[in-house]
Amino acid sequence: MPSDLRGLADIDRLIHEPARLALAAILSVVESADFLYLQRETGLTKGNLSSHLAKLEEAGYIAIEKTYRGRIPLTLVRLTDAGAAAYRAYRARFKKFLEKTG
Amino acid sequence: MVDIEKIEKRTVQSFYSDGLAEIAIGLIFLLLGGYFFAQAVVPEGSALGSALSVLFVLVIVSSGFLVSRILRFLKRRITYPRTGYVAFKKKELSPKRRVATMIIGGIIGGSLAALYGLSPSLKTLFPALNGILFAIAVLLFANKVGLIRFYILAAVSAVIGFAVTAAGVGDTKGISLYWGLFGAAVIISGLASLAIYLRKSARADRENPDAV
Repeated sequence: MPSDLRGLADIDRLIHEPARLALAAILSVVESADFLYLQRETGLTKGNLSSHLAKLEEAGYIAIEKTYRGRIPLTLVRLTDAGAAAYRAYRARFKKFLEKTG
Repeated sequence: MVDIEKIEKRTVQSFYSDGLAEIAIGLIFLLLGGYFFAQAVVPEGSALGSALSVLFVLVIVSSGFLVSRILRFLKRRITYPRTGYVAFKKKELSPKRRVATMIIGGIIGGSLAALYGLSPSLKTLFPALNGILFAIAVLLFANKVGLIRFYILAAVSAVIGFAVTAAGVGDTKGISLYWGLFGAAVIISGLASLAIYLRKSARADRENPDAV
């Protein structure tokens, strides 16, 4: 494998997927966000968003808390420490790769 | 390809998309203008004048507290049902940055005091200096957030400062006029943003539970 591409081989594929990457990027700058906010910001359908969130939760990258604000259901999502570390590592690795390949 | 930096910036910008933060901050500025106006009209050395000097910190702290409560209430009623709930990280200044901020503040304050000591007539320039210094602060913030209307507000701050100085209103009255006018400008900017936000964002149907 060319040395330029070697950096990409061990990239975190779970985060590399565009929708999940967008979710991680949003969650990296906030404390927590609800389902509606994430849906509006990513433009994903409810089903798609649920599926991506489930994958990230399964990996331990996000924590989902189901709660109520008054009588309104609220699904709060936040990046876990592991998720934040994985996102930072992905970002750094990808930046390095882009610098190498120009 | 996903532009990570753009997404991160857009997320930060989303906090200001409803204009509520500007309306709240504008109210603090108006209050500040009112405070300086009271200082300008109350005779120096009077009991009320002394009380006003002591009350300055209290006015700032209590108005900040009150406005943050109002902002949270409005966000809950207006923003969250439309574009969803989001809580931003509270960024604590690192000790290095805190020291740097204090040093810069000290240098600016010291320079102004030294200038005033050299020539008391410079007092008439206070509104303009105030306008420029605040314009720089708003400019730095605009650069961080990346919203054009904050660049415009930075320019407005400088223009108001110079206009008030040129009008020769006086130092304390001038400062009060600067904060009053700039506060009004910030509120107008916030109201315009709120109108655009309300037109663009319909209330979401929250009756159906989120599906995860």
